[in-house]
Amino acid sequence: MKRLNQILLPTLLICLVPAVVSAQTPPVEQGGGSFRVQCPTATIRHPGATATGGSGTAVNATPQSSEAAYTGPASRTATRSPDGHTFPALTFLDSGGAIKCQQISGGDGYMTEADGNQTYMFSFGPLSGLNAIQKGQPGTQFPAVFNNPYCDMSINGGNYNNSQPNPYCPGGDPNGAVGFLAPPAGSGFPANLSVGIDASAIMNTGIMNGSIPAPLMAFDEDDEFLLTLSNVGMIMRPDLFEQHTVHFHGYPNASSFYDGVPDATWAINIGGSATYYYLAPDAGTYFWHCHITPPEHLQMGMVGWLYVRPRQNRVPAGTDLYYAMAGAGTQASHGVFGTATGLSQQSDLRTACFPGLPTTGTPQGPDILCSAPKPATHPTPAVLQGTYASSDPSGRPGPQGYVVGDNYKYAYNDGDGSTRYDIDVPIQIHGFDPNFHFVGMTFNPEGFSDMKDKYFLLNGRSYPDTVGVAGGPADVLGQLATASNPDPASHAQFTAASDTQSRPSQPAPLLITLSNSAGPSGTCVVPTGFTGCGQRALLRICDLDVQEYQTLSTIGIPMTMVGFNAKILRDEAGNNLYIKTNSITLGGGESLDAIIDATGVPAGTYFLYTPQLDHLSNDAENFGGLMAEIVVTN
Amino acid sequence: MSHLNTRKRSSVSRLLPVAVAVLALLLAASAHAAAPGIKGISFNLNAGAAFNSQPDGELIYSWGYGCTNASPSPATFAPSTVVGAVCPTVQFPGPTLIVTEGTNATFTVTLTNSLPAAAGNTSIVFPGLTVDPVASCAHPGLLTCEAAPGGTVTYTVHIPVGSAGTHAYYSGTQQDLQLEMGLFGAVIVLPSQTYGNCTTSYATGRIDFRLAQSAYDNNLTCYDREYLTQWSEMDPRIHRQAEAQVRANASCTAGAVGCSLNVATEPYHPNYFLINGRSMPDDMDANYAPNYPNQPYNGNPHMHPGELVLVRVIGQGHWQHPFHEHGNHVRILGRDGNLLFAQANNPATGPNTATSSPLLAGRMEFNTDTTPGQAFDGIFYWSGKGLGWDIFGHTTANGATNPPCNPDVNGYYTTASGASAPTYDGAGNFTGGAPNYYEWCQDHNVPLESNPIGLVGGGGPMTLFDPLIATNGLWFNGTPYLGPDAVLRSRGPSPLPPGSASQNPTPESGIAFMWHSHNEREITTNDVFPGGMLMMMLVDPYVWHIDESL
Repeated sequence: MKRLNQILLPTLLICLVPAVVSAQTPPVEQGGGSFRVQCPTATIRHPGATATGGSGTAVNATPQSSEAAYTGPASRTATRSPDGHTFPALTFLDSGGAIKCQQISGGDGYMTEADGNQTYMFSFGPLSGLNAIQKGQPGTQFPAVFNNPYCDMSINGGNYNNSQPNPYCPGGDPNGAVGFLAPPAGSGFPANLSVGIDASAIMNTGIMNGSIPAPLMAFDEDDEFLLTLSNVGMIMRPDLFEQHTVHFHGYPNASSFYDGVPDATWAINIGGSATYYYLAPDAGTYFWHCHITPPEHLQMGMVGWLYVRPRQNRVPAGTDLYYAMAGAGTQASHGVFGTATGLSQQSDLRTACFPGLPTTGTPQGPDILCSAPKPATHPTPAVLQGTYASSDPSGRPGPQGYVVGDNYKYAYNDGDGSTRYDIDVPIQIHGFDPNFHFVGMTFNPEGFSDMKDKYFLLNGRSYPDTVGVAGGPADVLGQLATASNPDPASHAQFTAASDTQSRPSQPAPLLITLSNSAGPSGTCVVPTGFTGCGQRALLRICDLDVQEYQTLSTIGIPMTMVGFNAKILRDEAGNNLYIKTNSITLGGGESLDAIIDATGVPAGTYFLYTPQLDHLSNDAENFGGLMAEIVVTN
Repeated sequence: MSHLNTRKRSSVSRLLPVAVAVLALLLAASAHAAAPGIKGISFNLNAGAAFNSQPDGELIYSWGYGCTNASPSPATFAPSTVVGAVCPTVQFPGPTLIVTEGTNATFTVTLTNSLPAAAGNTSIVFPGLTVDPVASCAHPGLLTCEAAPGGTVTYTVHIPVGSAGTHAYYSGTQQDLQLEMGLFGAVIVLPSQTYGNCTTSYATGRIDFRLAQSAYDNNLTCYDREYLTQWSEMDPRIHRQAEAQVRANASCTAGAVGCSLNVATEPYHPNYFLINGRSMPDDMDANYAPNYPNQPYNGNPHMHPGELVLVRVIGQGHWQHPFHEHGNHVRILGRDGNLLFAQANNPATGPNTATSSPLLAGRMEFNTDTTPGQAFDGIFYWSGKGLGWDIFGHTTANGATNPPCNPDVNGYYTTASGASAPTYDGAGNFTGGAPNYYEWCQDHNVPLESNPIGLVGGGGPMTLFDPLIATNGLWFNGTPYLGPDAVLRSRGPSPLPPGSASQNPTPESGIAFMWHSHNEREITTNDVFPGGMLMMMLVDPYVWHIDESL
C-alpha cells in the first residue's frame, strides 16, 4: 500500500499542478499516504547540538530529551536547518523550550458509567505515552522517548491489548509511539526527521482504544509540540466515513490551518495520519476536542484536556521572579538575569506586555491582548524561585508532583509567586446523554434538540467511580503504591472503578490527596496546631459539556481562582484579581484555574461536588454524578 | 468586486441547499457587517407581528419592534457607509438605536403598540439607563408605563457622559412571552470624547464603517471595526400557540374580557438558536438582504491582521451561551456600558474614574458568556504573533517576490517601520501598500514545511500530510498561509484539493475562524447541523478590501 502510493502520488501531483511539482525536491515524505508519525529530534528553533550555521548557540542543548533553565531570551541566527536546507540568516530569540510529541487515535470506544451502563463513544485514544496515561499522567513525550516503538512487557506479556503479538517487544519503550519505525537507510528521509509507522501496530492498538477524557497533553512554554492524529475509523459504525480533527481550544493568534475546524481547514480521513504543529502559547489551562459536527462528536466523547506550564517554572533557584518577568534588559544592553536590568519576558516582544499608551522611555504598546502584565509593584521582600526540600509525601513525581530539588511550580508567569502550587490536578467536566449515545451506536441519526445529559462526568467518571477503588487511597496521579493499590506498574488498579473492575478507557480517577503539614516549608505562616505548611493543588478545570452550564463547589476548603480561560486574573495595572470562593461555574468551552491550599485544614475527607443537585445523579441513581473527594492528611 | 460577492453568496447557500437555494437567487449583496442601526435623538418605534424566516424553511410567527410608517425618524441610518438600509415596521431584533452621550443628553422613543389586540399592552425598558417617569401615564405597568393596543407611549432616556457602550432594550410587559416572541433590541451609546491615538493606525483609504473611534471614554478602547451580535433562542411551540390564539381572537376588542392570550411559556425547550435574529447560514448573508425582510442584521465578521475589532454582544434570550471566539482571546472592556478599569494604578494621583483613561481591568477570555439581559463590549484582534512560522508563506527562497518585514517597536511591520499603508480606490480595489502589512516580523521567513513547496522554501519542522487523504472545508484556502500571494507562492494557482475554496476564494484567500456557541447543541437549527449560533470570522489579507457596505 505504502509503496504503491509512493509511486502514484507524485504522478497525481504532476497531473494536478505541474508547476508546483517541478519546484519541489523529491517528495519522498509525501509517500505512505496512510499512517505515519513525525517527531524531529532537532528543528531550526530547537537545534540542540546540531549545527545550524549562524551565530550563537541554542539555549537548550538537548531539546530531544530535557528542558533547560530560562534565563531570558538569547538572540541566535541560523543559516541552515537540521535537515540540511540552507538560507540567508534567520534570527531567533531563543528562550529555551524543547520538542515534545504525542500521538492519538481518532475512533471509537466504550466507557462504563457509574451505574454499570456501558456507553458507546466516538473518542480519541492514546497512541503514545500509554504507560504514562494509564497512570493519569500526560501522554506528551520528548522525542528521545517518543521515537521508540511502543512495548510494555508488563501488560499482556508484551502483546497488544487485543492479544496480537507486538513485534517490537521486548525492546522499545512503554511510552513510545505505537508502531514507530525509524526511516530505513537510503529512504531519502532526513536522518533527524522521523517519519514512518507500522500500520498493523496502529490498528492493533488504536481500534476501540478511545478514552474519556481523551489523552492528556501537557508541555512547557517555548516548546514545539507535534501532535499526530491517526484516524483508525469507528469500528462500531462502519457506515460512517467520519474525519476527525484536533481543535486546540484557546490557542492565541492561532492559524486556521492547525485550528481543526473542518470548514476552515483540512480534516484527516479514515486510514490516515496528520500532524499538528504548535509553538507553545502562553502558559495556562486549555483543552482540545474534535471539531467535526461538534454537537455530535463532543457529546459522543471526543473531548481532551491540555495545559501549558509557564517559563517561570524554569527560572533558576534563587532568582527574583519579578525581574525574571519584568527586567528591563535588551539584547543590546542588559545586566544579570534576575536583576532590574536583566533580560526577561519583557525583553521578547512576543511575551512582553505593554498595556498602556506609549510614554517616553517605554515607547511600546498599547497591546490590549498582551500575554500577562507584570505585578503592579516589585514585591517586598522579593519573591525568589524556590526548590523543594523534600519530595511529595504521596510519592507523585514531577512535573505533576515533585521530588526533592525540583523548582517550585506556578500556574502562570506571575512575577510574584502568587500562583505557586505543588500538585497538578487536571479536571474535565462533561455530560453524557445515554439516549444520544445509544442512538449513535445503533446506526441512527441522533436528535440534537432533545439532547439531555443524564450522566455528569468528572474526568470521564461519575461518583463513586471518580475516587477509584472504594475506600482505597487511590490517587489522582495513580502513583501510590500502597496496600490497596499494590502495583504501580500495572494499570489495572489505577483505572479501577468502585466495583474494582479495571476501566482502562477511563484512566483518570479524581481523588485529590493533600498533606496539611508536609508542603514546602516557609511558604506560609504555620497555623497554630499544625506542624508545617500544607500542600497546594492547582485544579485545572475545563468544561466541555455541550448542553448546559456546570457549577462545582467545595465544602470545607475554599478555592482561590487565579486564572480564567488560560489567563491570569490580573488587571492591566498589575493588581491580582483572584477570587476566593467555594464555587465556580463554567459553560461549555471554558476553563479556569483554582488553587486549594491544605494549610490549616484538619485531616479528613472533603468533597468537590456540584450544587446543581440534579447533576448529582447517575441516570436513575439519585446519588452520584459530579462529585469527587479531597483527602487531607496530617 | 460585486461579481465575486455574488458568487460568494450563492456558495454560502449551498450549505443548506434545500432551504436556501431559492433564496440565493434573490441575493444581490455581500455581507460584511458593521453595527448598523438608526441614529438620532428621537425614535418612533412600532411593535407588531411578523414572521421570522429560518433556514429550515420555517416561517415562525413573532413579534418585534420596527419603525413606524409615518415616522419622521429615523432621520439617518448609520454608519453612513452601509447602503441599502431599511427599517421595516417589524424586525428581529428591533432597530439598533445609535445615540451619543453628552452632558444632560437624552433621547426619546415613542412606541406605538401595533400588536394584535389579544396580545394586550406592551412597553420598552432600558436597563442600566435612567428613564424619566412618563407624565400622565395612562397604562402604568409593573415595570414601566405601557402602550395599550393601538396606543402610544413616549420614553425619555438619559445618556450622560459615562454611559457609552452597548445596552439592551426590551419589552417590560409580560416578558416571559414578549421577549420570547422577539421584542428586544440594542442601544449603542457613543462616547463624546475622541482620542488622537484612535485613528493613527487606520490605513489610508480604508472606508470607515465605525460608529465612533472608541467604545468608551477611554483612549485604550479604540477600535477599527465593530460587530454587534444579539443572542437569543426560540421555542417554536410557544410561537405556534401564540399564533393560534391570536387568530382565534382576531376580532376581539382590546381590553374586553377574554381578549387575551394564555400561552404556556414553560417548560422551555428552544430549538432555534439565533444571532441577530438569524440562524447560520442566513446570518452570513448581507445586512438588509431582501430575502429576510424582517431580519435586517447579519453576523459575518471580517477583519485584517492587527485590526482591533470591537465585539458588542447582548444576551437577549432565556439562556446563557458560551460564545467561543476562535483565533484569539477577547479583552472584555465593560458590562452593560460600564467600563471595567483598574482601581488605582497610581495611588498618588487618587482613585481612577472611568473617564480618566485608567488601565483596563476586564478579563481576557476565549469564551465570552452571553447572559440574559446583559451586554458586554470586548476587543478582539488577530495578528499571528507567536505562531513560530511565517503565515504569509514568505521564505528566503521567495527571492524577488519576498517583501520586507521591518519590525516597529511592537514587532509588527507597519507605517512606523516603513511599510506603506494599504490604500483602496473608490471601487474597493487594492491600489497599493504592503500586502504583508501588520506582519509579525519575528516569524518572517521562518519556514513551516520541511520540504519546499512551490516558492516556499523548506527547512521547517513539519512534513505536511498527503493532501489526498484529507477532506477540505469550504473556507480553506488550500494552504497554511494567508493571502492570495501566499497561496500562489505555495500551491500555485490551483491549490490542492479542492480547486477553489468556495467561501474564501482567491483573491480573498483569508483564514477563517469559527465564532459560535460552545454549548454545541446550539449550533443546530431544529435538529439540523450546521446551523444556529455560528458565524465565521475571516481574517482577510490587506489586498482584499473588506467592504461592509455592499
